[in-house]
Amino acid sequence: MTSRRLVVDSLEFRSPARVPRQLWLLPWAERTWPAELAAIRRRFPDDIVTSPAFLREPLRTQGQEYEPGLFVDEWGCRFENKQAGIIGQVKDPALTSWADVGRIRVPAERLTVDTVKVDEFCAASDAFVLGKTWSRPFELIQFLRGPENLYMDLAERPDGLARLLAKVHAFYREEMELWARTDVDALVFADDWGGQNGLLIAPSLWRELFKPLYRDYVEIAHRRGKYAFMHSDGHIAAILPDLVEIGLDALNAQLFTMDIEAIGREFAGRLTFWGEVDRQHLLPYGTSADVAAAVRRVRRALWREGGCIAQCEFGIGARPENVAAVFEAWDRPA
Amino acid sequence: MLKAMQEALMAGRKAEIESLVDQALAAGVPAGTILNEGLIPGMERLGVQFKANEVFIPEVLVAARAMNAGMSKLEPHLAKAGIKPRGVVVIGTVKGDLHDIGKNLVSMMLRGNGYKIVDLGVDVAPEKYIEAAKTSGAGVIALSALLTTTMVQMKAIVEAVEKSGLAIPVVIGGAPVTRDYADQIRARGFAPDAASAVEEIGRLLAA
Repeated sequence: MTSRRLVVDSLEFRSPARVPRQLWLLPWAERTWPAELAAIRRRFPDDIVTSPAFLREPLRTQGQEYEPGLFVDEWGCRFENKQAGIIGQVKDPALTSWADVGRIRVPAERLTVDTVKVDEFCAASDAFVLGKTWSRPFELIQFLRGPENLYMDLAERPDGLARLLAKVHAFYREEMELWARTDVDALVFADDWGGQNGLLIAPSLWRELFKPLYRDYVEIAHRRGKYAFMHSDGHIAAILPDLVEIGLDALNAQLFTMDIEAIGREFAGRLTFWGEVDRQHLLPYGTSADVAAAVRRVRRALWREGGCIAQCEFGIGARPENVAAVFEAWDRPA
Repeated sequence: MLKAMQEALMAGRKAEIESLVDQALAAGVPAGTILNEGLIPGMERLGVQFKANEVFIPEVLVAARAMNAGMSKLEPHLAKAGIKPRGVVVIGTVKGDLHDIGKNLVSMMLRGNGYKIVDLGVDVAPEKYIEAAKTSGAGVIALSALLTTTMVQMKAIVEAVEKSGLAIPVVIGGAPVTRDYADQIRARGFAPDAASAVEEIGRLLAA
């Protein structure tokens, strides 16, 4: 039984031999808990990996993304950071005038993927392989405009907003199409849509402006026989029916901000939950017993002969024993 | 006219708010009445809707901008009439943390609800809160942190406030913060979201 088969069986609700797993981590965890992390890696190897992009041309970035100081990403977004091991926040938006939308430089280097090498990587691995796509239209336009400007734009809907979104989406579509022609198993997209208690924007606005973009990404993946995976932080219960409707296969969401049992009643058996376990409170402050109970709760609510991936993030503040407890609990028989 | 002002504010129509405030002042409506019966009730209603997930961040931000435009017109008249803000709040993101989206949202909603805000920005050292609270006569200090590693700064600030002799409450919020943590560090207020922060600060100032 390969890791790839375990993941596919969970996605297809075909009773995998065990729950497949994946650990996410911030560089903070590697720096703070190197020995503990190595032990977790040895005990619980990932069943899901991400292919490197094998770019023929390097990305035009400045600085280090996870280091204190300024980092400029490949779109020209400027992130300021104070702490090593995490990413910063945009303080100085690149797009201050709508007249400049045409001048935003699309990072064409991201389209120089050496697909032969990607296919070799997939062939050499028995893991389930994600393409290095991570398309994030909402977050990217927030980075370009600055969060407050962008929220005002969403209320006022200037013409430039549509042009910006179209430009970003055209790039992501092209990138997704490129990766869909490789041998990876799934394409990934991501946007954080939730606050602590609900969506950041009106569900109707989300359906009008953003749902069609995600529908396109899912369609690109499925047309080429790939699975579609999405990440979204926050309380996103309001859009779960939409994500299922567009055919999303797996969702990484902050389940513990929402009513997990209600989600299970409506969506268990229709969508695979790619984690997570509460990284805001349980992983940093809970006990291992609390974590095990949380995993049992998720399993009861969401597992239907599949439909779960044991995922959690070893991020800032998380305790290594609690991260291990996530995988120990998922490995125990139901 | 005051009812129209509430509706315009809730819809974020800045130019209309400016015009309505001008018209009300020209008609002799006292500035305090415009504020307390026109603008603030509009923002309060919006806060209730925000908490109930009936309106969202974009609607709150454009309303706050309209409120600020109205306040710019009103402030000279309020000052002349000796009308003071509902309270003064010193706010900032704690030392070591540069995240300010949540803090800015809270500031805008508080300002829109008639509070004077002393915004210290991000990466703020404990002593800065104390200085600002003393010089501004603040009634509350509000702290924001996004990270579990910077959240611990909140304890140092609560202790610094206690040591300084300032008898004012500290309210805390941010993604990793909980009511239990607030109790543990003796912060008298906790807000899980921006709308709750306005309510909590109102409660603390009224106490």
